[in-house]
Amino acid sequence: MGQPVLRVEALSVQRDGVLAVDGVSFALPAESDTALVGPNGAGKSTLVAAVLGLLPRRSGEVSVLGRRLGEAGQLPRSVRSQIAYLPQTLALPSRLPLSVAEFVAFGFDPPGPRLPWSGGRRRRQAVRRALQRTGCGDLGERLLSELSGGQLKRVLLAFCVVRPRRLLLLDEAQAGLDATASEQFQQLLLELRRQEGWTVLQVSHDLEMVRRCCDQVLCLNRRLRCSGMPDHALSPARLVELYGPNMVPYRHHHSPSASHG
Amino acid sequence: MAEPTALVAVLAQPFMQRALLGGLLTGSLGGLLGSFAVLRQLSFFSDALGHSALLGISIGILLGINPTLVLIPFAVIFALLINQLVERSRLPADALLNIVYSSSLAFAVVALSLVETYRGGIQQLLFGDILGIGWLDLAVIAVLLVGALGYLALSLRAQVLLTLNNDLAGAFGVRANWHRLAFIVLLAVVVAVSIKAVGVLLISAFVVIPACAGRLLSRRFPIYVASSAALGGGCALLGLLGSGLTNLPSGPCVVIVQFSGFLLALLFGQLRRQAPA
Repeated sequence: MGQPVLRVEALSVQRDGVLAVDGVSFALPAESDTALVGPNGAGKSTLVAAVLGLLPRRSGEVSVLGRRLGEAGQLPRSVRSQIAYLPQTLALPSRLPLSVAEFVAFGFDPPGPRLPWSGGRRRRQAVRRALQRTGCGDLGERLLSELSGGQLKRVLLAFCVVRPRRLLLLDEAQAGLDATASEQFQQLLLELRRQEGWTVLQVSHDLEMVRRCCDQVLCLNRRLRCSGMPDHALSPARLVELYGPNMVPYRHHHSPSASHG
Repeated sequence: MAEPTALVAVLAQPFMQRALLGGLLTGSLGGLLGSFAVLRQLSFFSDALGHSALLGISIGILLGINPTLVLIPFAVIFALLINQLVERSRLPADALLNIVYSSSLAFAVVALSLVETYRGGIQQLLFGDILGIGWLDLAVIAVLLVGALGYLALSLRAQVLLTLNNDLAGAFGVRANWHRLAFIVLLAVVVAVSIKAVGVLLISAFVVIPACAGRLLSRRFPIYVASSAALGGGCALLGLLGSGLTNLPSGPCVVIVQFSGFLLALLFGQLRRQAPA
């Protein structure tokens, strides 16, 4: 087994004066799909933000592709350009004059200052290809603020796939989608992950999806409560331990599952 | 209706030529920065800075220093302090800005009332005196315009991503705090430099109106930024010409033209949306 794409060692993060993440360690093998689950306020988004270098660490180390995250969250541009991040929402001002193609093009250039017209034909081709691969081929000219929730999530995936990357972090990317759109999004993510060789870490509350699609689960509630294969980490006893006694396992209409009670 | 000869006579005046060039540059700069300020919900920030500038001018007058020299450092320091206040107090930004600008306006009026022989005239401070713009003012505004163009062109992606989601921008290595501070300082300097021409009461119009009109007309980001700057510059030119021909105050004339442009953009935007694809 090769070097992990992401390694987190004894990570502690303080947010708003509270220890939100306490001594968490894990590693993501290349091309794995890992879910980060836990109740609200468990520190999942804080952990993702710390991995991205957006929050200061109280202690511990984070390494991406073998390179350590600096004290102020800095990474070499060559490593930073290998990371993609999908937020839960975008703050889209009404009538924002930004087309889908323009937005996806922002994902093409590597990090750092760059003149907006650099890249030219190569960038246009990459944007067209990314939009087609995510089923957004006909959305390029639309305004980003005019899209439905499902379309916006696919466009965000196009933003990630417009250039080769290794690590994809998703923070409740399926929030706000109905069951059908959520399933379509997950299928598209799975397909792109296989094609691109992405290593994925996704924060999710959809335990049914996690059970079906992920290779590994990290159960977080400030500290890492358990981890492992979905069937092991999401056993009824462990879910009660993680979410509390109100967690009632139930049987889904097509597969066994559990959800919040 | 003014005769063509009157227009030629107005244009032949050196002070009017400087005023037109100053208006073009100030208007373009206001539109350019405004296109980003409006998206990042900083339009009220520019208004607060404009009103607070009167305090900077008052301090300059009380200390016997040229108010123009005091204004730029005052505006920058004031903008940074407001930014800190908004971040640390965690109160709604609009309420805080209201407190800051009304208080500084009150202090400024009290300070000015202590100066019996202020020769500049409160009218000029409030509504600007674009006809009093000198070549040095023009050079400063031109340098600022070039600097703002360079910074915004190089950081376009960062500015847009920061508008959409701070963490998305941060994942790209964009330093959100650094860019926020840089933009606020730039906005403060532009407001400070434009006060002489536009006045403290109307400065926010130069930032907000062309940007909103540009937003109604555009579906592409570069076109939005360019049209906001062009509308800002064009409306300033037309307003100043109107002011020169009718002897009406220059600042209000420009803002009335900007407002007319905004109404036209609103109408055009509505018609375009109703037109069959």
